Amino acid sequence: MAIGEEKIEEPISPEKQREIPDDWKPNIIAFACHYCAFAAADLAGVMRLPYPPNVKVIRLPCTGKLDQVYILRAFERGVDGVFAAG
Amino acid sequence: MTRINPPKDKEDRIGSVLVVGSGIGGMQASLDLANSGLLVHMINDEPSIGGTMSRLDKTFPTGDCAMCMISPRMVESSRHPNIKMHTLSRVEAISGEAGNFTATIVEKARYVDPERCTGCGACEPQCPTKVVNSFNQGLDKRKAIYALFPQAVPNTRAIDPDYCLYLTRNVCRKCEKACDAKAINFEDTDKRHEIRVGSVVLTPGLKTYQPEIRQELGYGRLENVVTSLQFERLLSASGPCGGEVARPSDGGHPKRLAWVQCVGSRNSHNANPWCSSVCCMYAAKQSIIAKEHDSEVQSTIYYMELRAFGKDFDKYIEKAKNDAGVVYKRAMISEIVEDPETKNLIIHAVGDDGKLVWEEYDMVILSIGFEPRVDAAEFSRIFGINTDEYGFAQTSKLRPVESSRKGIYVAGTYQGPKDIPETVIQGSGAAAQAMMLLGEKRGTEVTQVVLPDEKDVEGEAPRVGVIVCHCGTNIAGTVDVQKIADAASLEPGVAHAETIIYACAPDGQQKIRDLIEEKRLNRVVVASCTPRTHSPLFQDTIREVGLNKFLFELADIREQCSWCHMNDKENATRKAIEIVNMNVAKTRNLVPVSQASVGVEHTALVVGGGIAGMNAALSMAEQGYGVHIVEKSNRLGGLLRKVRTTLEQDDVPAFLKGVIEKVQERDDITVHMRTTVESFDGFVGNFSTKLSNGTVVRHGALLIAVGGQEYQPTEYEYGKSQRIITQRDLENRLVEIDPAPDETYVMIQCVGSREEPNNYCSRICCQDALKNAIAIKEKSPETRVVILYRDMRAYGLKENYYRKARDLGVLFFLFTPEQKPEVSVEDDTIKVTFASAVLDKDIEVDADYLVLSTGLRPQPDQEEFAKQFKLTCNLDGFLLEAHVKLRPVDFPSEGFFLAGLAHAPKNLEETLSQSLAAAGRVGTLLSKNSLTVSGVISKHNRDICMSCLACVRKCPFGAPFIDEDGRVSHNEVKCTGCGICAGVCPAKAYQINYFRDDQMLAMIESVTEMK
Repeated sequence: MAIGEEKIEEPISPEKQREIPDDWKPNIIAFACHYCAFAAADLAGVMRLPYPPNVKVIRLPCTGKLDQVYILRAFERGVDGVFAAG
Repeated sequence: MTRINPPKDKEDRIGSVLVVGSGIGGMQASLDLANSGLLVHMINDEPSIGGTMSRLDKTFPTGDCAMCMISPRMVESSRHPNIKMHTLSRVEAISGEAGNFTATIVEKARYVDPERCTGCGACEPQCPTKVVNSFNQGLDKRKAIYALFPQAVPNTRAIDPDYCLYLTRNVCRKCEKACDAKAINFEDTDKRHEIRVGSVVLTPGLKTYQPEIRQELGYGRLENVVTSLQFERLLSASGPCGGEVARPSDGGHPKRLAWVQCVGSRNSHNANPWCSSVCCMYAAKQSIIAKEHDSEVQSTIYYMELRAFGKDFDKYIEKAKNDAGVVYKRAMISEIVEDPETKNLIIHAVGDDGKLVWEEYDMVILSIGFEPRVDAAEFSRIFGINTDEYGFAQTSKLRPVESSRKGIYVAGTYQGPKDIPETVIQGSGAAAQAMMLLGEKRGTEVTQVVLPDEKDVEGEAPRVGVIVCHCGTNIAGTVDVQKIADAASLEPGVAHAETIIYACAPDGQQKIRDLIEEKRLNRVVVASCTPRTHSPLFQDTIREVGLNKFLFELADIREQCSWCHMNDKENATRKAIEIVNMNVAKTRNLVPVSQASVGVEHTALVVGGGIAGMNAALSMAEQGYGVHIVEKSNRLGGLLRKVRTTLEQDDVPAFLKGVIEKVQERDDITVHMRTTVESFDGFVGNFSTKLSNGTVVRHGALLIAVGGQEYQPTEYEYGKSQRIITQRDLENRLVEIDPAPDETYVMIQCVGSREEPNNYCSRICCQDALKNAIAIKEKSPETRVVILYRDMRAYGLKENYYRKARDLGVLFFLFTPEQKPEVSVEDDTIKVTFASAVLDKDIEVDADYLVLSTGLRPQPDQEEFAKQFKLTCNLDGFLLEAHVKLRPVDFPSEGFFLAGLAHAPKNLEETLSQSLAAAGRVGTLLSKNSLTVSGVISKHNRDICMSCLACVRKCPFGAPFIDEDGRVSHNEVKCTGCGICAGVCPAKAYQINYFRDDQMLAMIESVTEMK
């Protein structure tokens, strides 16, 4: 590419798949009900069950509290996956 | 606490109760008593509370995990200011009388200081001694220093002195070295102390039958024969094989499973004569759960009689048959043999047709029954109470939770075999009895905590303190706690961050209090374990130095980080930093939450003047509350007026007369006859009800005991002959006329029950049939009595009467719903024809009397009635309780309670237990002078609300309502803080305290920050 020539980057589109690096790990947010799913995440710990560390749990009083805005904001901010459990 | 000046004779009573046993029944009694302002001493001989239910995997019909249901109760019991837990303890002696007992308690040495032990468990891996794990029914091993199970309460470890190397052979002490908290104390000794209590509730629970004695079933000899309790542990995710059912012989997944019912039950020759009441249902549950675990599982249940007598039980059996493909075989097992090569098991049985069948299975589960504990005889001697011939506590069917000694009450399986909800009911019922005895002494033994005024932090910039807990090596062994503190200190608003060895230990708590003062912190984040168990502790800590409880958040970096990512320390630390920072982000946005309180009307309204309503009313009045009974007919007594005796021969009319008289005598009970509820308004503690007689009753609680109806049959030619009658007619007839020796009585069971459209068991009809059959035979042994049945549901100790009827010569013949008996009436002769599988022929009987065992129905206007109070009914039209297992007399809406036939068909004893339970639950509510509304509730902003009614429709608790202006308002007293309203509100007019949108979005933004 010659100097000064403008580089046009192709926008990311669903049709054109980007290459996924080998060491890529998705960033996942889990929304969990205080009474069941959050308790289940605790039990996994008590039983020392291993799982990948790239998931963070946000506690809700009930999954009924899960607002669409939370999910949209998470994706808008670049999260790779949202897991709702309750 | 409401307290009336006690009369002279009640002055020396003591406002505390001893509860012996801390299973689900003991916890229920303790929590009810403690919540009513009485001090509770909860005694338990194991190192953890929880009892039998903590050993179960799941419970039917919901398939809820038993531990998930019971552990909040365990935590609540352990944290309740009015409950003093004494684990590893037993009562050695008791003296005194009702109102004033002195008990001597012996507390075994735990060898671990509960004040210091943080429950981290670092000691366990170091202990070299392996001990058979009795909690897991001997399926695996635990250590000599141990917690009974992972969720044990208290979480303090205990050392088993029978196996500890140091205590037995003076060597080792490895646990002592591993314990950073210095909690191990080998010098510990057994302690003896005396406590004074006004009343005693006994809920010691049960023992399961040991099936080794039944050699033909091979238990203990054949590896793949396990007990049902072992199978619960095999199914359990926290059990010995992590929830993947493994066959003991080879660890393979068994596909062909067989259950053998009635092992140790219903056998008066070499086991227990009674029916254990629960095995039919747990076998169905286990087969369904096994199928959920592995879709290839094929289950067979060998049973004698299918006793699915409870609410919605038959529907659950249908689910097992239809959805899980469980095959039910009515057969007696003669033996189980093993294929020596495959270790598969071959069951020899006699089938329906009388032929011998051999079937092969991978694993056989013995459905073992209940029996009194080994120490039952000694136990009854210590407490000075009578037992029945088997060792169960002796009670009367009319006073189901009263022992033979005044002031001592019993509940649960110690009173007779029963399931979880009935145990819970009796727990609350026994608590109600103690409240009746000690009502005036509420609040005299408990201590009130005085707290400093809350600091005003509004307007102050956030000064967040972050305390990162090492939890010994539990957290610090995996994640770099210093790195977490360093990272947190860079976050905006963080004024201080440091690490601490054990945040929850007493010195850790002090450190937090000091830091708040020293660093002028106005918000605190502790990074340690789960908020589910530890938040309340830290919230109390910060409140003690004047910070609002809701200026705190707990970042779970143990259960949800260090314990799960032990092999990936670097990423675990990274995740822990993210978890802490997101909680810091939330905490920065936290604001103080004030908890409002509302007054309580110390009066209850009971709808229904049957035995359930009256019995509850008497209990509530005795506890010290005013009661209004609303009865729509012109007589008190309901359906019980038609009953003459119980199966156990109690005089029902005399009992009912006594109850009615007592109700009418009391000044504190107002009876409104020929009256119904016209309109109803208000919320828990403050209801206002307008009756059809014009009276407006202000009341704090509402008890619904509207009863049920007897089914009027249309089947089997009923009405075509004077001599086709119902069991109730027969019962009344037998009082006046003796049966003649040459007469034949034919009874047909399940008339109008267990079939569409009324596909449920009415529960009382088998008992009625046995009662009347025995009465006929005792009056006139020559009279022929034939009972045509589908399953004789003589559960619990009622099995004795089934046996007695057979011994007296009553003939029992089985029929199926596909091939029902046929009845023809000609010239006043009644012919009954039915099929006999054994003879392979039809049998025809000329009956002098045909007696139809008709069931029970809900009130015809039940659905309508339910709507008036925003309650729901099950498919059969019976009112639906808050939780089938653990809240059997509560409704989901606070302040509403339920008893009697309106809930489900049941007999007199069960109705009395349930009405007492409801009275106890009402008592816990009415004892309070004010109710504090939970802080985590929804706040409604009426200014931006568009009154679209989305919230009104979605709220399960009826908190949002249409106010006088025709707009939506929100009743915070009814709100539970679930946040559904906030989720559906398009205007964002709802915000949940402590889970506000800005707080949640701050968390999301923190965890998605690009770095």
